[in-house]
Amino acid sequence: MRYSHLTWEHFSHAASAGVLTGADVARAAAGSAAEGTWVQFDIRAKRRGFASALIIEARFQAFGCPHTIAVADWLAGRAAGRSADPSLPEPVGALQQLFGMPVEKLGRLFVVEDAWVGAVQALLKMQGNA
Amino acid sequence: MTLPVYLDSAATTPIDPRVATVMTQILRSAEEFGNPASATHAYGDRASEIVDAARERVAAAVGAASADVVWTSGATEANNLAIFGVTAYYANQGRHIITARTEHKAVIDPCWELERRGWRVTWLTPGSDGVVAAEQVEAALQADTILVSLMHVNNEIGVIQDIRAIAAVCARHDGARLHVDAAQSVGKVPLDFAATGADLMSLSAHKAYGPKGIGALLVSQRRGVRLEARQFGGGQERGLRSGTVAPHQLAGMATAFTLASQELAQESQRVAALRRRLWDGISALGGVLRNGTEEGTVPQLLNASFEDVEGEALLAAVSELIAVSSGSACTSASNEPSYVLRALGRSDRLAESSLRFGLGRFTHEADVDQAITAVGNAVTRLRKISCATAT
Repeated sequence: MRYSHLTWEHFSHAASAGVLTGADVARAAAGSAAEGTWVQFDIRAKRRGFASALIIEARFQAFGCPHTIAVADWLAGRAAGRSADPSLPEPVGALQQLFGMPVEKLGRLFVVEDAWVGAVQALLKMQGNA
Repeated sequence: MTLPVYLDSAATTPIDPRVATVMTQILRSAEEFGNPASATHAYGDRASEIVDAARERVAAAVGAASADVVWTSGATEANNLAIFGVTAYYANQGRHIITARTEHKAVIDPCWELERRGWRVTWLTPGSDGVVAAEQVEAALQADTILVSLMHVNNEIGVIQDIRAIAAVCARHDGARLHVDAAQSVGKVPLDFAATGADLMSLSAHKAYGPKGIGALLVSQRRGVRLEARQFGGGQERGLRSGTVAPHQLAGMATAFTLASQELAQESQRVAALRRRLWDGISALGGVLRNGTEEGTVPQLLNASFEDVEGEALLAAVSELIAVSSGSACTSASNEPSYVLRALGRSDRLAESSLRFGLGRFTHEADVDQAITAVGNAVTRLRKISCATAT
């Protein structure tokens, strides 16, 4: 299979792969390796008033195809400095186009979305903002 | 851009320069371009001599009589001609055939088609080592079995079937003819068509450093095997496969098979040492499962499953350094777990995370070392990215 440049860059370097530790880290995972796709995000943020939190850093771990790893890396890598909103920065359909993912892989993007939203929700809950 | 090291010799092989020389000489010749069927002039005679010589050389390389050789476009056509040709000819004697779940698609799909047309097909499941025991065949034979189709060397894991034992079982059954897909055999194991006792055998040139687009079906004249043609229009190949044959392709196949036969013993030893080196290198990673045994498979193939890595990611991660395949290259577009490995009892996940390394005539130690490095780096990185405890 041929991959887009963006997919290949994030898959082959995956600079945001890893885990965060500490009491201030929120974590959530979705999917399962047994079913072919598993993604986990760790997010650290600081409180910003009552209504939102600002993400300081994010890391991911993933068992999945190059597209899954690439999207997870892209999400984690661009999270720092953004508000902790329980949604993807781009809709799933837009991400599919951005990374040139075959339509039959759309389900894997939903796993990434579930993990990301879950991690942000865990963060907000932890900070009392949920 | 530097191309990766080629380790996919079960998919195809590069043409040996000695083969290319023979083919090029014929293609450039002003005297050897004739139609072999043109019996009215010298150009046809020259082309016909090339075809006859190629037929004799291919037959000699695989222990067949030259009259057994029916040229085809490759093993897929040969398999189709064998399966549909035999079942059509002997349809009034029975409508049951036997094959295995681990056959190449070029056998499985024709058998599916026959099933769709109302034939009964028994699908044998090999043991975890990939071997189909002769006793399994014997137990599956029925009064109206007219064909058993089993491959000699499996294209995914390289396991070698005991064709002689299976042929002996078929011989005891009145009416069951044995077809053997031997597309992967030439140059990897000694091949003696007559001695195996098989009735039909499919061959391919491009798996043995010959050109693509040419192969043969061996049809044993000694055993009196008959089949119906599937292609009409000129009566070439004793009416079994009409169409003008290409002398340069046949000469290429003949040269490739002669070389494969001559160099078999020495080459097998050399490649076996390379495969041991490769296995030692990748198995040191841990969590690597070998599909097929060392002694039961051809030395050119090594198939392994890697725990805790996703298959597509693994294939992509090694792709810049080595050209390998996961499962059968012919069906890798389907992006599904290998049906062969699943039939051998591997889980979907392990079947997906398998790599097939095909070593060959032009593979050297440095290539194997590059493969060990590529796989080692990829597996380590992907295991780090994926949490090994994820369930």
